[in-house]
Amino acid sequence: MGARAMQGERAGDATAEDRAALPIELRAVSKSCAGIKVGNTVSFDMRPGEVHALMGENGAGKSTLIKIMAGLHQPDEGQILINGEPVRFSSPRDAHAAGIATVHQELLLFPELTVAENIYLGQTPKTPLGAIDWPAMRRGARALLQSLDSGDLDIDQKVTTLSVGNRQRIEIARALAQDARVLIMDEPTAALAEHDVQRLMSIVRTLCQRGVAIVYVSHRMPEIFALADRVTVLRDGQHVATRPVCDVDEPTLVSMMVGRSIDRLYPAKQGQDGETVLELRNVSQRSVVRDISFSLRRGEILGLAGLVGSGRTETALTIFGITPATAGDILINGRPVKIGSPEAARDLGIAYVPEDRGHQGLIRAQSIAENIALANLKRLTRGVIVDMTRVMAEAKQAIARFGIRARGPDQLVRQLSGGNQQKVVLGKWLATNPRILIMDEPTRGIDVGAKAEIHLLMRKLAGEGMAILMISSELPEVLGMSDRVLVMNGGRIVGEFDKVEASAEAVGTVMTRSYSKDDAA
Amino acid sequence: MTALSAHPGRSALHRFIGGYGQEIVVLLSIVALFVVVGIINPRFLSDTNINSIFAGNAYIAIAAIGMSMVIIAGHIDVSVGALIGVIATIAGTLAVNGYPVWVAWVVPILFAMAVNAGVGALVAYTRIPSIVVTLGMLSILKGGLISITAGEWISDLPTEFMIAQMRPFGIPSAVYFMVLLTAVAALFMRYTDFGRSIYAVGGNMEAARAAGINPERTVVGVFILHGLFAGIAGILFATQLQVIQSTVPPNLELTVITASVIGGVSILGGTGTVIGSTLAAILFACIGSALIFLNVSAYWLRAVLGLLILATVLADMARRRRVT
Amino acid sequence: MTASRLLRHETILGVLTVIALIVLASLSDKFFTAENLLNQGRLMSEVGLVALAMTFVIVTGGIDLSVGSILGLTAILLGVFWKNLGLPLPAAMVLALACGTFAGWVNGLIITRFRVPPLIATLATLALYRGLAEGISEARSVRGYPEWFFFFGQGEVLGVPFQLWVLGLATIVAAVILGLTPFGRATYAIGANETAARFSGIRVDAVKLWIYTGAGFCSALAAVIFVSRVTTTRSDMGTGLELDVITGVVLGGTSIFGGRGTIIGTVLGLILIQALKNGLALSGVKGDGTIVVIGLVLIGAILAGALFDRNRGG
Repeated sequence: MGARAMQGERAGDATAEDRAALPIELRAVSKSCAGIKVGNTVSFDMRPGEVHALMGENGAGKSTLIKIMAGLHQPDEGQILINGEPVRFSSPRDAHAAGIATVHQELLLFPELTVAENIYLGQTPKTPLGAIDWPAMRRGARALLQSLDSGDLDIDQKVTTLSVGNRQRIEIARALAQDARVLIMDEPTAALAEHDVQRLMSIVRTLCQRGVAIVYVSHRMPEIFALADRVTVLRDGQHVATRPVCDVDEPTLVSMMVGRSIDRLYPAKQGQDGETVLELRNVSQRSVVRDISFSLRRGEILGLAGLVGSGRTETALTIFGITPATAGDILINGRPVKIGSPEAARDLGIAYVPEDRGHQGLIRAQSIAENIALANLKRLTRGVIVDMTRVMAEAKQAIARFGIRARGPDQLVRQLSGGNQQKVVLGKWLATNPRILIMDEPTRGIDVGAKAEIHLLMRKLAGEGMAILMISSELPEVLGMSDRVLVMNGGRIVGEFDKVEASAEAVGTVMTRSYSKDDAA
Repeated sequence: MTALSAHPGRSALHRFIGGYGQEIVVLLSIVALFVVVGIINPRFLSDTNINSIFAGNAYIAIAAIGMSMVIIAGHIDVSVGALIGVIATIAGTLAVNGYPVWVAWVVPILFAMAVNAGVGALVAYTRIPSIVVTLGMLSILKGGLISITAGEWISDLPTEFMIAQMRPFGIPSAVYFMVLLTAVAALFMRYTDFGRSIYAVGGNMEAARAAGINPERTVVGVFILHGLFAGIAGILFATQLQVIQSTVPPNLELTVITASVIGGVSILGGTGTVIGSTLAAILFACIGSALIFLNVSAYWLRAVLGLLILATVLADMARRRRVT
Repeated sequence: MTASRLLRHETILGVLTVIALIVLASLSDKFFTAENLLNQGRLMSEVGLVALAMTFVIVTGGIDLSVGSILGLTAILLGVFWKNLGLPLPAAMVLALACGTFAGWVNGLIITRFRVPPLIATLATLALYRGLAEGISEARSVRGYPEWFFFFGQGEVLGVPFQLWVLGLATIVAAVILGLTPFGRATYAIGANETAARFSGIRVDAVKLWIYTGAGFCSALAAVIFVSRVTTTRSDMGTGLELDVITGVVLGGTSIFGGRGTIIGTVLGLILIQALKNGLALSGVKGDGTIVVIGLVLIGAILAGALFDRNRGG
């Protein structure tokens, strides 16, 4: 412990008196999640009234760090200090009490209660008799919203009917009602429309003037440069650097985040691209997928880059028939097709390896064999009976082909590691003999070794003539694997790069730019 | 969006209508029913009939208050009918065996609260769906009741025991209970932390936990309160006739659940009021009575009830779909 | 082997059933006679038929509370079609079966099309169907069926009650569908993870619609047998049937949360319950006392299942 206290000196630029005024400081904290170390001796501090941007790719350790500050995780090592005093948060309540509030990505509100109640729930004002003082609560809620420049919100409205932007303002008001001194905002603009983003930024500035310190997690460069005073970059659970924003520019930040830009070897392209197998012409799905057009050829790996919420997954779901297209045409081998359901997509030779393995990809309580058979039941049935011998044979074949490390086809999927689970999903879909393979975050939450195996496999499949559409939030993966990169932003395709042009800086810049509705076309 | 934000401080009236939409619909239905049926058959509006509608069904409205709380918290109880039958029998047995009247009133209520505390604990801590626990409880209570009493009626009840038949100021006491308990419960649900936490737990359990509410304790508390209301309902049920039949009133649980649902309690939890469920219980009593006065066979009452639940549930789902 | 994992609960249950049979046989010498056992089988058939369908329903993670009401409605319609409308009895039977099946289909439609939770949807139709039965019959019972009609509920084939043959055949069909066909695999997949099933190209809504329709058909079939057995039609027939059925299915190892369960388990659960009822009755417990046992057994079985699941870290 003593050695670690010494390390605290490293933060350097603040004197001991300054430090006593810091609303929160983390000293060399680390935390292991399921055996993988995330947040490795990270030091982080907040000054009153500053906006401190926290950046890094998915899996860099941002959320772990946030959860430690919010009291959801306890650090394995290191210290948390509030006003210079070491503390321990054993629950979110302790963090609240210390003046730390969080605006969550998935907003934690009560849909059937009113705006005023949502702001005050858990700390309602009381009359002397101990009853809830509704007039005081409504007055307080109105005043809070007014101070956030949101006096137009109806405090008696049920939250169900409100837009995401409005709900977020309610969460912020709730944090203020708790007298928060540190406000953690986790990708607050990911799901916001453009005018809501502007509004949020002005709210953030108002909060700073009141002395609230804001941890601002975002991928979007313009917001970072417009708002933040300092920026901390994490990569692979390591603290890369903390700098004043005026000392860095966009390319520097991108390369700090990506770091080893192409330091890992990605398998090289095999063979030539063939004819076009999938073409989208002006496809839209309500307002989340807008006017998408692209084509995908045999043997090609097409990368789809973009931030969370940019419409990448939604595009994949539209092609796969989960949310059928509301406008435009989809052509397969040049023929227009109508894809109204996943079974229709599957019968057209489309396979989709979804982003959420546990929820969408696998039935974790069932065996490897049962999972692999699920998309192939028609083919594996003799008469009316499922041919168990063939189910087992296929499962064994998939285990051998993809190197799934399991005791056998009967092992339950939930007992496998992430990488092996992903191989089961792949096995299930490749058994359908698809011509088009959509892979959504193919290596999320998978260790490095399994990652490389899956990359090699993707290359091999493409070499055998498979057309692959890959969605990934990891820039190096997109750049390393793709023959061509499309960038999405706000539901539209906003950029296309071939292998040579696609650099981290170029793609990253287009990805993180804020587009107004007009110039996104 | 902009249409809503145009008037930030809505008038008190507007707010009232917005917050109590379903209750107002039910109230208007009752009024319309009285007017229409009264014109067709004026005897419908006679003192005796109105008295029997209100006094005879007050116990259903009171049970529906507790049921509403359970449903708002995101659960359900199909054993309440059996529980009321058991309470009535215990109360009657105590009364004819010479125990003081207050013992005959209070002990069964405590019994109901204890039973429901057990149900609530099972539901909250083992995560067994409330429908399964209460289905099991239904058969335990029902079977136990019939096998112990062998279906024998209890008669010769002491007069001072018959609380439901007392008529202070000429109005049946059951009506006082109904009005008073509805008002108290409504205030409780609106003005106490526990009341609001019921809504919070039913609306979004994880968010409730994050806001410092203990969802398990809330659920157990709700079931105990439900037991209290079911207990009072059982005593009123026991004392409204000269005999206690020692059986489970048929389909009582369904009537009670329907009253809650039609009164505006969303079956998915998180929303509704106890005023609505009381009004809906009155509405049913009126419909049942109206069928007789319109010479429609009372045998259709349950079909009407079923259709009403179905229509209300479908409307609730449609409303939720529109919103999201 | 997959089957061995699934059958563990069934093995325990099988052993339990055998023990119960031995104990009951030693308590009363009237229990273990061919006559008593066949008679118990006869009494079990109606609940058994519905329980087979309910196993599918619960494996998908749903529930159907309206089965008893469908039984009552079908029974009433059978009587009304025959006596009041003057249809030939065979035609009345077919028509009544069709109506019961339609009632099940309506349940499925409400659940899949309007996304009403199965519990609520079937709670509403429980009231609606029973209400229709009461309204149509106006509490009048129908009697005087021709002698040949009693064969379905009272007749014997090769010394075994007719309805036991029906139940046996239905059990085999159900076991094959649930255990061996693509439809069965889809049923398990939906119960274990509906989203993943849809993402794997399973037609989730179609499968569910078939299952609720099937539950309606089985309830209607049970109604015909029931009417034939008791020789009369009343609107309160099948009241509380859902409790017996759900208890049997859950006791048989089907998880109330879906995804797990077998037909063999359901049959064993039914036998255990029927044996307990019969044994208790023979040893002097009055009829209604056995309901208490069923309730206790239901809660106990699910509680044990929940604790078992937690220990496995599921």
